[in-house]
Amino acid sequence: MALDHEDIDLVRAWPGMSSDAQARWQAAASSLGDRSDYKKVWDRQSTESDLAWLSVAGHTDEGTLELTARGFIDTLRSTVGVGPCDVVLEIGCGIGRVGKPLSKECLHWFGADISAGMLGHAAGRLKDRPNTTLVELATVGLQEFPGDAFDLVYCTIVFMHLFEWDRFRYVEESFRVLRPGGRCYFDNFSLDSDHGWNVFMEGSRYPLERRPAHLSMSSSREELGVYLRKAGFADVRIHDLPNELIAATGRKPD
Amino acid sequence: MSNPTPDDPNLRIAALQAELEAVKRREAEFRAKMVHEFLDRGERNTYIHVLREERAALMKREQESFADLEELTRMLEVEGEKAAALEAELGRIRRSWSWRLLAPLRALGRRFEPRPPAPPVERAPVEPGVFTYYLHTSPFRIYRDSRFTLRGWAWPQDGRAVTAVRINLGGRIFNGRHGLEEPEVIARYGPQAANPRPGFEVTFDTPPGRHSLSLEAQVEGGEWRWIMRTSIWCEPGRA
Repeated sequence: MALDHEDIDLVRAWPGMSSDAQARWQAAASSLGDRSDYKKVWDRQSTESDLAWLSVAGHTDEGTLELTARGFIDTLRSTVGVGPCDVVLEIGCGIGRVGKPLSKECLHWFGADISAGMLGHAAGRLKDRPNTTLVELATVGLQEFPGDAFDLVYCTIVFMHLFEWDRFRYVEESFRVLRPGGRCYFDNFSLDSDHGWNVFMEGSRYPLERRPAHLSMSSSREELGVYLRKAGFADVRIHDLPNELIAATGRKPD
Repeated sequence: MSNPTPDDPNLRIAALQAELEAVKRREAEFRAKMVHEFLDRGERNTYIHVLREERAALMKREQESFADLEELTRMLEVEGEKAAALEAELGRIRRSWSWRLLAPLRALGRRFEPRPPAPPVERAPVEPGVFTYYLHTSPFRIYRDSRFTLRGWAWPQDGRAVTAVRINLGGRIFNGRHGLEEPEVIARYGPQAANPRPGFEVTFDTPPGRHSLSLEAQVEGGEWRWIMRTSIWCEPGRA
C-alpha cells in the first residue's frame, strides 16, 4: 500500500488535543537532526504550561496526571519496591508527574531533567513537598550527582525520546549513583507490540526531512536487558507491563 | 494473655527491628544530605555554573559600558561648552571696532606671510571600504590600560580577500593578525570563498589623550581601506 505523506502531521499528537494546542505543538517541533540536543528540544516543548503537560503526559488535567502517576507507582512497587527510607532519583522527571505522589512514600525524591523549562513547571507543582529536590542536568548523564547515593533510580516514558547510546549512558550512570544494593527501573514501549509497531510504522511514514526530534522510538526486551547487564547490574529482569510497555529492573551488587 | 517480660525474645526482636529501621533511616538521611551538599559544591563544575559566571561577567561589562557612556557624554558636553564659549568669543572679537578697523592691515600682512606648513598627517590617506564586520571587543569605551586588543571579523562586500589588518592611531600604525578562525560566523553567513577565516586581532598602545582610531584592512590588489573610524579617549590609571 502506498503511503500518503500528505496526511501525516509533523508531530504525532495525542487524540483529543485541541486544534490550537495541536498547532502550537507542531510549531514547537524540532527536526530529527536536533534529537541529540535534548535541552533545546525539551525546552521548546516547555515554553507554556499546558504544552509542557501535553509533551510529558499527553493531557493537561491534574486528576488524570495523578491517576497515571499512581498507576506507575504501583508498577514500581511490584517490580523494584518503594520504601519509606528510600532516597529516590527520577531521570527525566519533566513536570514532576510521578514525583508529587511518590514523594509521600519515600524519604527524599530527587527529580533530574535536562530541560530547565520543564523543571520550572515541576517546581510550581512541588512547592508544598519539602522532601523533593529538582536538578537541571547539563547534558546526558548524571554528572551532577555523587556516587553510591540512591536507593532507587528510575526512568519512565523517557527512553523513547533518546538515542540508544544515551539510553545506555543513563543506565551506566544509574549504576554509579546507586548505593550497593540499590535498585533501578527503566521502561519503554516495546517494538514487539501492536502499539509499538503502529508507532514505528507511523514514524516510518514521515518524509525524511520532516522527522521530528521527539519522534518516539521503541525498545526490545533484549536491548534493555543488555544495557543493564553491561552496566554491571545483577538480578536483571524484564517485565511486560500494561499499556504494552516493557521494563528492565536490576540491582547494584553489594 | 500474659504481659511480655524484658527477657521476652519477641519484645527484644521488635526492639532490635525498630532500632534497625531507625539506623536505616538515619543512614538514608545522611545520603540525602550528602547529595544536597554535593549539588551545592558540584555546581562549580557544571555547565549551568559556567553560564551563570558568563552572565555575571557580561552584566559587569554592561555596567562598565554604561559608566563609560555616561562619562563620554559628560566629556562631550564639556567639549561642546568649550567650543560654544570659543565661538562666542570669536564672534565678539569679529564684531568689535578694533577688529574691523584693523581688517585691511591683516589682509596686507597675509600677503607677505610665508605659507604655513601643511598640517601633520594624522592618518595615512586611506579610502573607506564597504565591509561586513563585527568587533568582539568594542572600541567604544574609555581606555584605562596602556594597551588594548581589538578583536573581530570582517570581509569586504565586493568579495575580495583581506590580506592584512592594522590600526592607525593618530598616524601610528599597529599591524595586526588576520586569518583567524570564526566557525560560528561562517556557520551563520555561509562559506566566504575569499575569506574562509575572517577573524582578526590588533593590539595597539593607548597613550593618554584623545586620538583618532582607524581600523583598516588591506584588500586583494594591495590598497588599504578603512573598516571603521572613531575618536577614542585614553585615560590610563583612572578607575
